[in-house]
Amino acid sequence: MALLEVRNLSKTFGHHTVLDGVDFDLEAGQIKSVMGPSGCGKSTVLRCINRLVEPSAGTIVFDGKPVTAARSDLLAIRQRIGFVFQNYALYRHLTVIDNVTLALRKLRRLSPRAAADRAGAELRRLNIDELAAQYPAELSGGQRQRVAIARALAMDPAVLFFDEPTSALDPIMAREVGGIIDRLRRDNVTVLCVTHDFELARTISDSIVFLSGGRVRAEDSGDRLANDYGDPHIRDFFTKGRTSP
Amino acid sequence: MNLAEIFLTLLRGATQTVIVTILCSLTGLSVGLGIAIARRLGLIWLEPLFVTFIYVFRGVPMLVLLFIAFFGLPSIGISVPGHVAMMGSLGLIAGAYLAEIFRGALAGVQHEEVEAALAAGFTRWQALISIEIPQMLRMAVPSMVNEFTTVLKYTPFAYTVGIPEIMKQATAAVSTTLQGVEIYAMAGVLYFVIYRLMLVCVRLADRHFTIPGLSSI
Repeated sequence: MALLEVRNLSKTFGHHTVLDGVDFDLEAGQIKSVMGPSGCGKSTVLRCINRLVEPSAGTIVFDGKPVTAARSDLLAIRQRIGFVFQNYALYRHLTVIDNVTLALRKLRRLSPRAAADRAGAELRRLNIDELAAQYPAELSGGQRQRVAIARALAMDPAVLFFDEPTSALDPIMAREVGGIIDRLRRDNVTVLCVTHDFELARTISDSIVFLSGGRVRAEDSGDRLANDYGDPHIRDFFTKGRTSP
Repeated sequence: MNLAEIFLTLLRGATQTVIVTILCSLTGLSVGLGIAIARRLGLIWLEPLFVTFIYVFRGVPMLVLLFIAFFGLPSIGISVPGHVAMMGSLGLIAGAYLAEIFRGALAGVQHEEVEAALAAGFTRWQALISIEIPQMLRMAVPSMVNEFTTVLKYTPFAYTVGIPEIMKQATAAVSTTLQGVEIYAMAGVLYFVIYRLMLVCVRLADRHFTIPGLSSI
């Protein structure tokens, strides 16, 4: 059984259908990317999975538990899904170490010492332990990205969601993020990454779900998607530029 | 009664002034925070009540509200001490202003941070207490200080409901000594000293709580 099963996921905002019957699975230990042109509903997929946005239809099963059921323990499920946001969304009033320990203290009920130890290990894993006492405003974009990843990893999630992890970074930092996700693969971290950065998706992913017009057009490796598909949505994306609607 | 004795009398009045200022400020803080939190939690059905409260308490003169509380309520069988009447007038007026100050400060809290907390498994209440309120309070410090200063400057009205604060002591001393200029000048200096002490406390707190990237409203 897959760690995450998404079936017939649909989402409409008013009369606008953003997702129209999306299906895919994510196996434990797998790194999968969701790609597609801007506005195709990539980020909405992530938000629907942990119900930051309520799906209009469809079922989502995470680790055998129905996320979309009325009586699902949503808070417990969310604690097992790490989420790294596009703009990092660090808590501006907290230092780096407090950003990472907050959920450990408030949700996992760890003592301040135990939470700091746990957070310190994650900061060291991402080579940012010297930033522990800094505030988010004092960090560069790449450093904020790492703090956001450390914050998500500290909760020991079953899967890590990345929402456009390279969109706000320069090419060098974007490559660094690719390296970090690649290191997570070696630690057997399961990743679902939404991106329009094909190079990132091709480098890190076991497979790529290609989304267009709210539907899954294909799921395959990056190289095969770029070269072998006759679907006009996919062909246009790779030949006419990757941000066309 | 020499000036030294009068000064000591005024100092005793200053204690009452400080007590009234603290009581009314705490009332305002509680009411303002309560309204801000209820609004943030989306308790829409309470909104007409909040709008009416803010409209009335910002629009009616403080002395009128104080007299209603202290002299009006006994006619319907409710008697309140002077301090409670001050809290029910000046304190609630401060609450009405602070509710609007907090609303502005809450608008400065980034939605993405709340979303990140919810995504991590925080309840809406936990996100409010851990993320939004701490940021809001920091951003609102200058406006809050303004409001607390206003409270201090309105405390002489406590004189009218029998609280022996600075102005009541000063007026009593003037009536027996006829040294109005000296005594009221001393009263003014005492108010100024209390005001400066408030500012020093707030600056120390502000320095302690100031965070890079979080600007005040």
